Amino acid sequence: MSNSDLHKQIVKKVLETKAVDFNALGKVVSELGPALSLADDDGINFCATMRFFIRINRIETPGFPVERLGDLNVAAREFQE
Amino acid sequence: MKPKQSQINRWPESDLIRRLCHALDIASLTIEHLAPAGYTDPHNPAASVRPEKPIAETAVLLYAAMAAAHHPEVDARLHRVARQLAPHARSAQLQLGLALNPGLALDYSLAHIVLGRLGYPDPAFDALLTQCRAAQASAGRERLPHRVLEQQWIESITGLSQTSAPILRHIQRRDIERTARLSILNRPMDVLSATDDDLYAFTHALMYVTGFELSSVALPRTRVVLLAEAEAALAHCLDAQDYDLAGELLLSWPLTGRSWSPTAAFAFRVLAEVEDQAGFLPTPATRISELDARTGASRKQYLLATAYHTAYVMGLVCAAALQPGCAPPTTVSTRCATLGSAAQLLPLLDDCRPIPHWLESFRRLDPLEADALAPLLFNIALHRHAAQHDFAALHQLLRLGHTLHLTDIPAASQAAELLERMTLYANTLHPEAQPQEGTQPTPGPSHPDILHSALLNTTASTQFPTLP
Repeated sequence: MSNSDLHKQIVKKVLETKAVDFNALGKVVSELGPALSLADDDGINFCATMRFFIRINRIETPGFPVERLGDLNVAAREFQE
Repeated sequence: MKPKQSQINRWPESDLIRRLCHALDIASLTIEHLAPAGYTDPHNPAASVRPEKPIAETAVLLYAAMAAAHHPEVDARLHRVARQLAPHARSAQLQLGLALNPGLALDYSLAHIVLGRLGYPDPAFDALLTQCRAAQASAGRERLPHRVLEQQWIESITGLSQTSAPILRHIQRRDIERTARLSILNRPMDVLSATDDDLYAFTHALMYVTGFELSSVALPRTRVVLLAEAEAALAHCLDAQDYDLAGELLLSWPLTGRSWSPTAAFAFRVLAEVEDQAGFLPTPATRISELDARTGASRKQYLLATAYHTAYVMGLVCAAALQPGCAPPTTVSTRCATLGSAAQLLPLLDDCRPIPHWLESFRRLDPLEADALAPLLFNIALHRHAAQHDFAALHQLLRLGHTLHLTDIPAASQAAELLERMTLYANTLHPEAQPQEGTQPTPGPSHPDILHSALLNTTASTQFPTLP
């Protein structure tokens, strides 16, 4: 599956959960928009058509230790079969 | 007197061959089970693997193993895996990717190129590849220096490159050396805070610059300097039981020379022991509970998806170590051991639970070998204290390291710089705690400049901030 297909699947799932309140987002944009669009600070990405306004990042391995080596050795028999 | 290379007992060639063959056997299973469709884990997306990854990584293993092909057992496996790999390396899906993305032409074609080197050409694929490389967009992707080096290395092993005139190969070599000077190989690594990505950049840059073999390539910095940083990173990876990165860092030794430091020799021994006990070189990604929850093909796919990469890394290390004169020593050299140094450092490190594998191996060493590995202990202790933001302990550790003559390493001078910065920062928070004029502690003899400054400015009254 390509990255764009995966991306579409994820976005579709998020939308189906209705976790994103687009009405509320729109309200905030309309309240703050005029002032922000005139701001000097160009660090604020104010754009009502921003594509990536939700980013889902994979969290790195949370630091589990390596499993017991003896237990892994049992599993490693799969490599012999 | 430095022992002659011929007097050092080297790791048995037969064992290195055995381990390389084991990696190739796992490669055979990996291609069989993961190359067709990758692996999708419904419960743990982090364990999922796209097919392109094992295809490309198997090609890298095959390329590195070619140097040991004069051993019949290696040669037989090389060709078996190559024949398995061929249909996947040139699949319709891969060719479509190639046609759509000329800027990724060499990435998509690596396996095809390696197969060509092994005697399995494909003229039709070559034609498509040539078309892609002639496209306007063929150089249109922005890449980090180590990824540029990857492109240049792949370029250098293509069939066209191999038949090029010597002057063209010389130009290619010069381009690689120039790109290496833009990479992390040409500036001091942050040995205390380097991320995995930083370490991968280091290890991969070195692999591509050397072409996976001991060569006459001009490295951006001297071998001594690069290995000092590799050793600092290796110490941390051993302590973290990150055998993927530890193995890649170990490549730094046989890819750049024939001598191994005591730390590197010990690290190889640890990896070998762990591999023998587990049946493969493991990573934390392989969870017993996940294995037990699966049966049949699903279980094998999960195991391969989580284990193949590090198994390949061990194969790469052994292939590099099989170069003439490049095998690691079987014992730790005690030539530079400072008597009693290990006994002073070990109490700082043996409170970990569970006990890391390196420590289990370390406790089996005789006292002189243990003392010879004091730099390893010191590196690990420095990293732990820095990671924990325990600056007071770091300060004490540097003082101890100085008395043991261990501070001539990057981790020590970087830790000293860290202390200087934290002291400056602490003094802005608590200006009343700054040392009064005339009450400076007396510096010890022969401090390196950086260490001297740090220890001078950091006193018992320095209130280091408590950081998360």
